[in-house]
Amino acid sequence: MILKGKTVNEGKAEGEAIVSKLPFSFVGDLEVASGKVIVKGHDLEGQSLKGKIFVFPTGKGSTIGPWFAYQAKVLGNLPTGMICTEVEPVIAMVAIMNEIPMVHKLDKNPVEVIKTGDYIKMDAGAEVVEVVKNKRNGVSP
Amino acid sequence: MVKLTDEQNKMYDGEYGPGVQKAMAMLVKYGDIFGAECMIKVDSAHVDIWGPVEVLSQMLEVVDQARAFTTVHSLKPSTTKWAMGMGIRPEVVEQDTKTHEKRVKLYQKAGFLRAFTCAPYLVGNMLRPGTIFSQAGTSGIIIGNSLFGARGNRDAVNAAICSAITGVTPKMLLHRPENRRAELVAQLQGLDLKNLSTADFGALGYYIGAVAGLRNVAVVGIPSSLSFEKLKYFLSAMPVSGGVSLCHIVGVTPEAPTLEAALGNGKPQETIEVGKNEIEEIYQRLNTAKTDQVDLVCLGCPHYTISEIKSVAQLLDGRKVKEGVRVWVSTADSVYTLAKRMGYVDIIEKAGGLVVTDMCMSSMPALEIDVKTSATDSAKVAHYQPGADVGVEMLYGSTEQCIATAITGKWGG
Repeated sequence: MILKGKTVNEGKAEGEAIVSKLPFSFVGDLEVASGKVIVKGHDLEGQSLKGKIFVFPTGKGSTIGPWFAYQAKVLGNLPTGMICTEVEPVIAMVAIMNEIPMVHKLDKNPVEVIKTGDYIKMDAGAEVVEVVKNKRNGVSP
Repeated sequence: MVKLTDEQNKMYDGEYGPGVQKAMAMLVKYGDIFGAECMIKVDSAHVDIWGPVEVLSQMLEVVDQARAFTTVHSLKPSTTKWAMGMGIRPEVVEQDTKTHEKRVKLYQKAGFLRAFTCAPYLVGNMLRPGTIFSQAGTSGIIIGNSLFGARGNRDAVNAAICSAITGVTPKMLLHRPENRRAELVAQLQGLDLKNLSTADFGALGYYIGAVAGLRNVAVVGIPSSLSFEKLKYFLSAMPVSGGVSLCHIVGVTPEAPTLEAALGNGKPQETIEVGKNEIEEIYQRLNTAKTDQVDLVCLGCPHYTISEIKSVAQLLDGRKVKEGVRVWVSTADSVYTLAKRMGYVDIIEKAGGLVVTDMCMSSMPALEIDVKTSATDSAKVAHYQPGADVGVEMLYGSTEQCIATAITGKWGG
């Protein structure tokens, strides 16, 4: 499946998708020291974003997000790429400052059509996302 | 593409050095994402000091003076003069103080005012209808838009620094009147507003923020006589559970004398009713402690105003905080000076509490201090303290309940 979107921050990335249905904050939702989501009851509780393509609806919460993300970057615990339904200013700056390739406003809602475990190849500058479905996840809707 | 003026192009091309150049390049990129067509002059900036010192050096080392009026946000507790008295581990204080001194030099050189508060409105960073601001700190942003009628976006820390350096921000999102219309209407139902505590208002805001997400809100049912402090708690919880930056309080917000005005004469996407059950739901969510034994009481997030400090002094006057319980009342340094002059600080200290300045208590790392259960009247503290790297359990309730707890050591007073 090929999706077309809009650039948030240029760059190429590929890896396994990890998908959340919840707005995300790098302050409070992510444990910087491990790259894991630590909030109780979060749909990614206990799972790591490290080295993955993080797919989520949008941002929320604190404006200090880019600094927390930078600390995670220094420790090698950031996602390698990000895809949002629609980005907001704090997550946009997380991507720009930490040089994470990122797209948003895809022609299909990424949190609906991409499943955790799918393999993603994205070129954020060219505004293209290729989704290779994981067989376990069945046929794409 | 963002179009630049000749002067802005000089910044972009590096004529004012690499710090200004980098800041302008970042703002152009930022503006392109959100469809900005030009830059707009920033009247007020507020920047955050927690940034990694190597990143701040790259941004600020070669900048002589900020082009915007700029104040600096609150600090990590470990870097304030109160650190040792609060019982923060000496090795943490030593390590954090080193990098803090480097940051202070950078900010001094840039001309950033070291107010060290999350409430820039307390220290002369004044906003009024139409003022354009770029401020880090979500409570300042939502208060700036909603109570003062100024115009500012949910700018991240580094975006605000870029605006402070260049004096401009991309004209987009909430700078434009068509983007300031309310999308979600929240009607307060069946509440005796006069008898709601600040924590009740925080719970209401937290509930509404979670439903709203990033949308603009209009709230119906709040009388214009409600205190600034209660409005502060109500508003500042919304960008914690969600990402609200503008909440029209009908009859209070300058541009929302009526609901129709808040909606720009359009229709809302969604209307909700909020009442007692919703407040109760948030108390259930934020009260995570399994014990009623309290180690720490945190008050003053966002920083307490002089009226709030006076109330705490009255509640503690002639009483004693239970041994082993710490009580921290957090405010800006200039407010502390006034509270000291009025005798409030002495009353609180005599009771065994501590009035502290310059700091943010909401993301207090567990590494710094040994605390298991923390009580607070702030939805922000209740949300953030158990978050990243902390593991503290929370009790959330009114200021009166927090003070009663401080005296008995047990939640519920």
